[in-house]
Amino acid sequence: MERAGSIMGGRFLSSIVPALFGILGVIVANFPVSILGGLVPPPLLVFMPLYFWAMVRPDLMTPAWVFVLGILQDVLSGGPPGVWAASFLAAYFLIDRQRDMLAGLSGIGAIAGFAVSALTACVAAYGIVTLYYWHFPPLATMLVQLAMTVLFYIPAVFVLGVAHRRLVGPYRSDF
Amino acid sequence: MANGTWKIARNRGGAQLPIALLAALAVALILIGKAENTLFDRARATVTDWAAPALRAMRSPLVGLDRWVGSLGDIFVVYQENLRLKSENARLRQWRNVAVTLQDRVKRYQLLLHAVPDPGLSSVMARVIGRSNQPFLQTMILDAGKAQGIKPGQAVVDSRGMIGRIFLTGDHTSWVILLTDLNSRIPVNIEPDNAQAIMAGDNTGAPTLDLLSQNLTLKPGAQVVSSGDGGLLPPGLAVGTVVADPAGGYRVVLLADPSSSEDVNVVDFKLKTEQPPAASPNDLPATAAGLPPAAPPPAVTAIAPVTMPTTVAAPSVPAPGSAPPPAAQGGAPADTGNE
Repeated sequence: MERAGSIMGGRFLSSIVPALFGILGVIVANFPVSILGGLVPPPLLVFMPLYFWAMVRPDLMTPAWVFVLGILQDVLSGGPPGVWAASFLAAYFLIDRQRDMLAGLSGIGAIAGFAVSALTACVAAYGIVTLYYWHFPPLATMLVQLAMTVLFYIPAVFVLGVAHRRLVGPYRSDF
Repeated sequence: MANGTWKIARNRGGAQLPIALLAALAVALILIGKAENTLFDRARATVTDWAAPALRAMRSPLVGLDRWVGSLGDIFVVYQENLRLKSENARLRQWRNVAVTLQDRVKRYQLLLHAVPDPGLSSVMARVIGRSNQPFLQTMILDAGKAQGIKPGQAVVDSRGMIGRIFLTGDHTSWVILLTDLNSRIPVNIEPDNAQAIMAGDNTGAPTLDLLSQNLTLKPGAQVVSSGDGGLLPPGLAVGTVVADPAGGYRVVLLADPSSSEDVNVVDFKLKTEQPPAASPNDLPATAAGLPPAAPPPAVTAIAPVTMPTTVAAPSVPAPGSAPPPAAQGGAPADTGNE
């Protein structure tokens, strides 16, 4: 009985690991202390666990979690509410539709797949902000943020892979 | 990175419906946020207040690291930099003497003209505990909030010039929208021509200038100061210098550098409510028409201000250099009509 309880507890913990990584990504990326004098915008750290687990464990990275992470990103980044929530959902929609293709990529292709998904989120955010303020924000800053996000994804995917293998594991029905 | 090695969860049917519902909810939030942003602002201020101790604790080592990284390149030019600073210091000393002389002269002129002194500006010194450099907004967090008397709209300046203004206050923290932010718009004056313009941020380092007069040509290097129009910001705050935009129009190179500012002043500018000068008996229509003034009813005489005749009394002109009369020092609205 105790063993069953600990297994249930372990499963619950492993089920919230993707969301916890997302929340950690939001907090770290929006920690308002910039190194290098804020020369470059911080990467979208929250998007890395979002993309990773939306691809390999969509049952844990659900649209509801994506929405919550987007709202958190909105609140902590100081921007208008709902912008990143809607943008992440747009990217999630793409990942959901193209999951098999994206999951089959490896090496540079995997990074390119992530870059396309991140670009979808950034373009959606750019469009919403443009409509919101009725003014075109500078494109360069967003592109730099996208480049930083893709650059940081390369080491981050190893960390996420280790966390997935040790803490989350594959989907149970696939055994 | 080999995504193909991961086992994919297959039973994801029905995910599109929640996505559509949540996307609709997000759009609704955007629209609500556009109309009424108080709820999110409150949440943001609460989170910042809660995180303020951690931000303060993290600030020192990160600032040290930032300085160390930033100074790596300076090592190779330290000698030239020293010579340049010595030369600049000598020039600034000369300008300081000129400024002191001119300040004394302006004071004498103000006394001679009985000029109403500028409203006093009080300020609160605050420390920068956070900076946010997002693609769509550029903000700064200060460790002073409502408890220290900070209010939204107040100007934030450092020793060089204006940085931005407060847009959100928590109990012990406040958010500053920088002049470079996409949403920043302040009325400015371009000196010496006294041209009026709106300085608008666009998330680049140099905000744009929207001149109110279309047929105006500005000289690069002209000084930009806050105009004080609208009563939100004090007039005369140094902002930057005009440069020509290669794409057309003008931009402002800011004097202050928000990325290196550590201690800033939040300027509390209380614009006095403008009141019309009190009416004198000569302003009454009957008197102006040459008729004797009608005897006021008893009830009215009880209300009528007794001090009115004193406001129209001939002012005693003080000798140059003497202190102005107390009424002029106070800057009472009735006195403005006599000057």
